[in-house]
Amino acid sequence: MSASARPDAPAKLSGSVVYGTDLDVPGMFWGALVPAPVARGRLRRIDLGPARALPGVVAISAADVAALVDGRAGDAERPPFPPEQITYLHQPIAAVAAPSPGLARAAARAVRVEVDGLPAVTDLEELFPEWPERAIDDPDHLAAHVRAGRGDVEAVFRTAESVVRETYRTASVHQVALEPHACVADVTDGLWHVRTSTQSPFGAREDASSILGIPESSLVVEGAWVGGGFGGKGAAFLEPYALLLARAAGRPVRLALGYEDEFRLGRTTLPAVLRMETAVTDGEIVGRRVRLLLDVGTSLPGRDFATGYAIGFLLGPYRTPTFEVEGYAVRTNKPPFGPHRAPFAPQAAFVVESHLEEVARRIGADPVAFKARHLWKEGDRTPLGQPVLPFGLPSALEGARATAERWRREAPSGHGVGVAVGFWSTSTGAGGEARVELTPAELRIIQGEREIGSGSVVVGIARVAARRTGLPFERIRVEYRDSARAPFDSGVFGSRTVGALGRATDEAITALLRSLGERLGAPGPAELGIVDGQIYAIHGRTRRSIAELWTPAEEAQGAMAAEGKHYGKGGAIDESLVRDGQFYAFTDFTGAAHVAEVEVDRETGSVRLVRYAAFHDAGVVIDPASARAQVEGGIAMGIGTALTEEAIWADDGRLTNAGLVDYRIPTLPEIPPIEVHFVEGFAGAGPFGAKGLGEPPIIPVPAAVASAVRDAVGAHVTELPLTPERVARELKLL
Amino acid sequence: MTPSEIQLRVNGRPSRIDSVPTDERLLDTLRWRLGLKGTKEGCRTGMCGACTVLRDGRGTLSCLLLTHEADGASITTIEGIGSDPVGRRVLDAFDAAGALQCGYCTPGFVMALTGLLREGGRSTPVDEMLEDLGGNLCRCTGYATIVRAARSAREEGA
Repeated sequence: MSASARPDAPAKLSGSVVYGTDLDVPGMFWGALVPAPVARGRLRRIDLGPARALPGVVAISAADVAALVDGRAGDAERPPFPPEQITYLHQPIAAVAAPSPGLARAAARAVRVEVDGLPAVTDLEELFPEWPERAIDDPDHLAAHVRAGRGDVEAVFRTAESVVRETYRTASVHQVALEPHACVADVTDGLWHVRTSTQSPFGAREDASSILGIPESSLVVEGAWVGGGFGGKGAAFLEPYALLLARAAGRPVRLALGYEDEFRLGRTTLPAVLRMETAVTDGEIVGRRVRLLLDVGTSLPGRDFATGYAIGFLLGPYRTPTFEVEGYAVRTNKPPFGPHRAPFAPQAAFVVESHLEEVARRIGADPVAFKARHLWKEGDRTPLGQPVLPFGLPSALEGARATAERWRREAPSGHGVGVAVGFWSTSTGAGGEARVELTPAELRIIQGEREIGSGSVVVGIARVAARRTGLPFERIRVEYRDSARAPFDSGVFGSRTVGALGRATDEAITALLRSLGERLGAPGPAELGIVDGQIYAIHGRTRRSIAELWTPAEEAQGAMAAEGKHYGKGGAIDESLVRDGQFYAFTDFTGAAHVAEVEVDRETGSVRLVRYAAFHDAGVVIDPASARAQVEGGIAMGIGTALTEEAIWADDGRLTNAGLVDYRIPTLPEIPPIEVHFVEGFAGAGPFGAKGLGEPPIIPVPAAVASAVRDAVGAHVTELPLTPERVARELKLL
Repeated sequence: MTPSEIQLRVNGRPSRIDSVPTDERLLDTLRWRLGLKGTKEGCRTGMCGACTVLRDGRGTLSCLLLTHEADGASITTIEGIGSDPVGRRVLDAFDAAGALQCGYCTPGFVMALTGLLREGGRSTPVDEMLEDLGGNLCRCTGYATIVRAARSAREEGA
């Protein structure tokens, strides 16, 4: 057998890896959720009797929760089951567990529910037809309001040479991890234990503890291997229900979602409407106003993370002297808004890039040159006053421009070439800790994250360790421990794993090498190397084997250990510019410029990707193969956001396309050849100057594809996704 | 629904399974009765391909096949595909190309590609092979590494 390109490949290729859906405990019951029959209404009565009458069946609803958690009180604002008000269709209002999956389904159906239904609220623009001309002041539907600005925008717009005003609409998209959410819970002797497919065992522990009122010290979350996350497996979701069912049943309970429910209940990006206004004088942007109306489903008022986060990206990475940004987060009868790979950033980039391209065209400027002239450079300040750290986006855009020029010369009629940038910031502010253990044979990294697929755990932090120690990659082993035994880590999200957990690993190794240096009597830290198959500590010409250097206590433990932590500091924004709500500072500055070539069918409006090129600033690239794979995967996902993916809710709150038949994600033949380039020399906050790369690749894609469509046939589509219908409609208007 | 006995040959070993309801899917029989969890459960509607197995040597979606329909068939899953020479080649190609990330779609891709190459081998046109793999979804890789692995597995075929 040839050498594995990834350390987890042999296990994954043998079918022996245990994902959340594969968890199987002797004697376990099968759980099922009882869905709310209306999207909005009052729960009048819930009768679990008919379910409980079935053999062996356990059934619980809101009334049972307090007794199951021994009278403790969970977070009153997010009870596992709504005590009275139903806020979205299929919202879990009760749960059952049974000895077989068939019986569990039958039991869920047997629960009798009486509700007083009310008309559902699903459409932002029907709810607020006068936005943005009229401010929104509706406590029933407002989850958050954020506003910031600098200078007198009205005055600048009055005096500018030209002003461009446009409205954009973006769609709800799902993560579509192939593995549905799944977990197995067990409650024994006061210890609440759940094995689950999660991007964040510690986050799931915190959430489940808060929802149920169980102390974190009594709750253990053990990560199963994750069959794709993309943001959808970051917070507790099924775990509280499974834990309650396990307590009620007195035995382990498996709870997994069917694929339709992945769509119906999934917490993800929801629709938005945006008004973009830009004022230009002498070819320079002199003022901008951005207004966002964002659907946040049934997110809790005051706890909406989406709006302040989303709006930070809506000015784009461009110098803007005078501006105003304002966002409303609006509650509708849909599941809560949740993170989807770079939450709302692909949508924001689509809107910003398409709009600025329109601005450039209206003033007769070349769109790419216009953008390049306004792009942030290191040392500039963002509109919210934060200094720009090392930033490779200008170099990336230069690379993209050159490729686009060449492709445009080569492109036949009916083809078009588009360029767009996407800006992102790695969430290294979310901290992490790691322990390393050194034996004469290997270096083990002890940590609490399961690999979700990107390679950030099994490859990324191992590469950091290899690079810091000088050991061959094969001598590094990443070991997983559950939340009771692993050092704390925030989770595999926010493109942070290599940056933050990698830095924690690096700190632990640095402490270890320092200790080894002292033991060698050397003036500085040791390096590690292999001599006769054994790990040696080396400094200059001094070298001793680990077996010679470890203490009797360490020898008895079987390893020398050291710990490290990294809690990154973000930058700061100028808070005097914030007028309402919360805005976020960036921890570092990353991003990409992409080039798309498309072919557009003028008759049908259908778009085919011909080829694609990506230029990324990932700081110092830690593992070239994984980095390239992240970019390829993110682009494919972005092509879905650009062309086909759109979750559509009916007026009654029903998701009309809850499944892969009608919600189309890209298939193999639809993905074009992809060139991947990295612009180097712009160090980030991660180990060796790395920046995160999990999210950035998806960000510029819808914008680049839209730009290419416009180049091909002149259709300026202002709504995602660019379905044949929307492209054809624009073509008719030309 | 009359449960009855089913005979399958799974990864070369004869298997007699009692009391299989007539509406049970082969996917569930493999995973929950035979403990072969390497065959993945995805959409259960035939759209994602994660549950692909070989039925008498040909790629089949086990979520759409009733176990009763498979009575008497020879089934190969990811756990057994390494003993098939074509399957071995496909596994090696995926391993060398790093053609997986989360790995959830991987068994389905390996089985689907093995089925295709067993039928046509090197005579399978590349475009046709890639078009046929369009029935298997992957959300992580953007298919790029999978395409590399598929090309290399095809090239090495006799």
